Amino acid sequence: MINGVKAVDVQSLHIELGRDASHVHVLKGIDLVINQGEAVGLVGPSGSGKSTLLMAMAGLERAGSGHIKIADQDITTMSEDELAQFRGRQIGIVFQSFHLIETMTALENVAVPLELAGHRDPFQRAQKELEAVGLKDRLSHYPSELSGGEQQRVAIARALAPDPTLLLADEPTGNLDATNGDTIVELLFALKRERNMTMVLVTHDLRLAARCDRTIQLNSGRVITKNDSSS
Amino acid sequence: MTAATLKFAIRNLRHGLAGFKIFLACIALGVTAIVGVDSLARALTDGLAAQGRTLLGADLVISRMHRQAESHELALIQSKGRITEIISLRGMARAHQKAALVDLKIVDQSYPLLDAPVFNPALPLQKIMEEKDGVYGVAADAALFVRLGAKVGDQIALGDTVVELRATLVNEPDRIGAGVTLGPRVIMNRAAFEKTGLFRPESLIRYAYRLLLDDPRDENLGAIDGSLNSTLTAAGFELRGRGNVSPQLTRNIERFSQYLGLIGLTALIIGGLGVANAVMAYLDRRRKTMAIFKAIGASGSYVFQIAFIEVMMLAGLGTLIGILLGVSLPYLVAVLASGILPFPIVPHLYPDRLLLGALYGLLTSASFALPILGRAHDLPVAILFRDDTSQDQIRVRQRYLAMTILVSLVLFAIILFAVRERQITLFVMIGISLAFLLLKGVGVLIMRWARSVPHPKRTEWRLALGNIYRPGSITPALTLALGLGVTLLVAISATQNNLVQLVSSGLPTKAPSFFFVDIPARDVAAFDQFMKEKQPDARVSHVAMLRGRITEVKSMRAETVVAGDNARWVLDGDRGITFSTTVPEGSRIVEGTWWPADYSGPPLVSLEADIAKGLGLTLGDMIKVNVLGRTIEAKITNLRRVDWQSLGINFVLVFSPNTFKGAPVSYLATLTNENGAQSAESETQLLVDAAEAFPAISAIRVREALETVREMIDQLALAIRGVAGITILASILVLAGAVGASQRRRIRDAVILKTLGATKARLLSAFLTEFAIISLVASFFGLISGLLAAWVLVTLTFKTAFTWPLGDPLITTIVAVLVAIGLGLIGTWRVLEEKPARHLRAS
Repeated sequence: MINGVKAVDVQSLHIELGRDASHVHVLKGIDLVINQGEAVGLVGPSGSGKSTLLMAMAGLERAGSGHIKIADQDITTMSEDELAQFRGRQIGIVFQSFHLIETMTALENVAVPLELAGHRDPFQRAQKELEAVGLKDRLSHYPSELSGGEQQRVAIARALAPDPTLLLADEPTGNLDATNGDTIVELLFALKRERNMTMVLVTHDLRLAARCDRTIQLNSGRVITKNDSSS
Repeated sequence: MTAATLKFAIRNLRHGLAGFKIFLACIALGVTAIVGVDSLARALTDGLAAQGRTLLGADLVISRMHRQAESHELALIQSKGRITEIISLRGMARAHQKAALVDLKIVDQSYPLLDAPVFNPALPLQKIMEEKDGVYGVAADAALFVRLGAKVGDQIALGDTVVELRATLVNEPDRIGAGVTLGPRVIMNRAAFEKTGLFRPESLIRYAYRLLLDDPRDENLGAIDGSLNSTLTAAGFELRGRGNVSPQLTRNIERFSQYLGLIGLTALIIGGLGVANAVMAYLDRRRKTMAIFKAIGASGSYVFQIAFIEVMMLAGLGTLIGILLGVSLPYLVAVLASGILPFPIVPHLYPDRLLLGALYGLLTSASFALPILGRAHDLPVAILFRDDTSQDQIRVRQRYLAMTILVSLVLFAIILFAVRERQITLFVMIGISLAFLLLKGVGVLIMRWARSVPHPKRTEWRLALGNIYRPGSITPALTLALGLGVTLLVAISATQNNLVQLVSSGLPTKAPSFFFVDIPARDVAAFDQFMKEKQPDARVSHVAMLRGRITEVKSMRAETVVAGDNARWVLDGDRGITFSTTVPEGSRIVEGTWWPADYSGPPLVSLEADIAKGLGLTLGDMIKVNVLGRTIEAKITNLRRVDWQSLGINFVLVFSPNTFKGAPVSYLATLTNENGAQSAESETQLLVDAAEAFPAISAIRVREALETVREMIDQLALAIRGVAGITILASILVLAGAVGASQRRRIRDAVILKTLGATKARLLSAFLTEFAIISLVASFFGLISGLLAAWVLVTLTFKTAFTWPLGDPLITTIVAVLVAIGLGLIGTWRVLEEKPARHLRAS
């Protein structure tokens, strides 16, 4: 449910990457607001800066200038360790390539952020999350023993285990076939509704974008269109 | 460290040790070398101590030079248990126109008190020695039979008498306890000895009384040793218990093992390079996992801690393997070399040395791993969604550099604390550090040079040069590993070359050909005349010589003096001493003044300067020496530096002439050929002639003695090379690891190049060119630093001129280059066999 409270507030964000000949001005003054409970799709052609914007919201890319507030906290002024801890508590991230830890089982993968945050019963909680994504029978399987769709479901469970207020997903169906992709999309939106999370998706998939409350279109590092006006 | 980080580390290691085999081997090898050498040395010295009774042939040996025990002294010793008297001296055996120096052992009816010698034929000793047809019998080492061309049943001349060789001495259990022997052993009885005419008051004869206690318990031995000591040492006797069979041998074993331990330490430090390479490869493999951890809430230091725990757990495993292998070494040697060593090995576990080995292994691993693992802290999470090569440029935080320095300093401190030869160890540590820095610099220079070379036309060479200087190249690792290995090998080989040369050719050109000992005073003039006739071109020098024991130093009993390592030997047992009106040839006064030629006051003494320093003595101090049963107290009036390498006649203690006025003395003479060394045949003839003319005089051929020394150097060098072999193995492992660590990138590059049209031959040529350039430069600098290290060792430690050998070191260097290229070839072959499709699909 969208309640008008700002979940994400990006102000005059500039990000530049690379040095010398490889220098690129990826984001050129991004301003946008995402309200609590919204599902927002970031769309645009390749190289438009949408993944970079997503990673900046996650604190995984440093802003050159400007501010990013997540749940009213300015993450551009946090240190690396503060960011890591903030991410662990407030932000869940789902990657296109899943990025599970190969040497850990599904259960252990999901438990990791809970263990890092010092939760009392991380494995119990992790098991619940995996059951919620339909992987009750895959708890002790390693990533190499799971299909692509199952791996992404583990990644989603891991992202949601700490009960974050913000879920960021970078092309969550990019490495999946159509059937699995649909399943993942359904799962994401169901969980989003259930937990009243804010969700920001990067996607090339127009159907997925259409399911969002609104889309923000980027091109060459700038916001071209958005369904809602920034406040 | 928290329980959680430990848990994560264990989880990561669950999937096996792939990628860490070389890491484990490098640490295990170094720790094996150190613990193995140490354990073996301890087992040898413990063997000496444990078998002390057998090796000494008694519980206690009371001995002195020149004079038998007086009746009251004998009664005192006899009151403590069973005794046997052993008389020993040197003599010349003659037969079949040949002569040989022998070590005579004259035994009585009570001998042996313990294990009996073994003879061939297996006859009882008393039967061998009995008189038959007016001739007494002797048993002798097989070496004497060879030297004289004799066989059992032949008669040989000894002094003024003739004896019959009745048996070969196969085993003499108490030989070590008797001290160093220069010639083959001959065992005879007192009656035969008295017929030789060698029995003179001034002769260099040692009278030893071996005592077997009725109650051999240590407490009883200690009590009796103490009570006899207080009475008999003042009379010039030396007492040695079964726990201290051969102090000199024990010291030599300890000292030698320390040197070998240093080489083992070098192996461990080279192994550290293997650790560094393995950790870099580990970081490369785990960077995605570390980035994931950071993405989902782990701080940089948390990620570092997990990685550090993993690496140190593996270091612990490698250390444990090394310790297990190291402690097995003495057990292995005990089984394999039981028939070769003159005394048994008694292997034990020594917890303090195992702990030391463990500390070395863990601290070395930590000091090489820390600066690399520190990069994990700032590993960019962006690698999860972007191919980021900035990992190679991550600056390690100061805290991790500080930790590295601290750990390295602790390791250095422990090394210095644990060794006895601190000065040499410090030199070696500094030398290794300098070699490290030099070779690191060389690695940088190679990379800079490769970058600056104008683009060659041939693609393979362009590829090779690019591989040399690109980020993540193996140039630094290969330069260090190969350079250090070559440095060590060249240093050992060049040092050995110099020592052997010194002994074989350096010394004999200026050293005497012969030492003649036990020349009776009445025969000196006749001896000089004889030599003038036989060797008109030679120079004969002679000095009076006695044997004496230092009993007190600055009013402290000699046994209680804390002497430096280089001076302790002077207090052990008796020494050759002399007297002179003038400063002896080959000596120069560095402090004080010489006494006037007509000096007739209280006894004065001149002391060798280094010995004086080691004993804490200066001008004006008093020392007491027991000579011929008299205790002489003399004041030190000057200190001398002696050129020992001239092998001329020189003594640590030289007294004013009036000190021994009226005492029976014998003379020591040297024969030096001014026109260079004479032929072996000529020397042999002189030996025979002198033995015939002067049966009481013993002759020591310097050539033979130097040959013995050279054989010893070769044998010691064998042991050194054995341990150095471990170091070389560590170098090879590090090289293999460095090549292996670069495999991922090489495979990726090779895949892309193959896709673009490169043939296997061109790729092979490029990789081999890369290895050849790095290996040649690294080995060249290794050769230079190895020669420099040998130069320092030879000139500063052995204090002799250095010859720059090229043969062996060059061969060593060439072999090292070939090995490095060979390893590169093996690694490269695997790369070229990879199928491109497999790798292109995965990316």
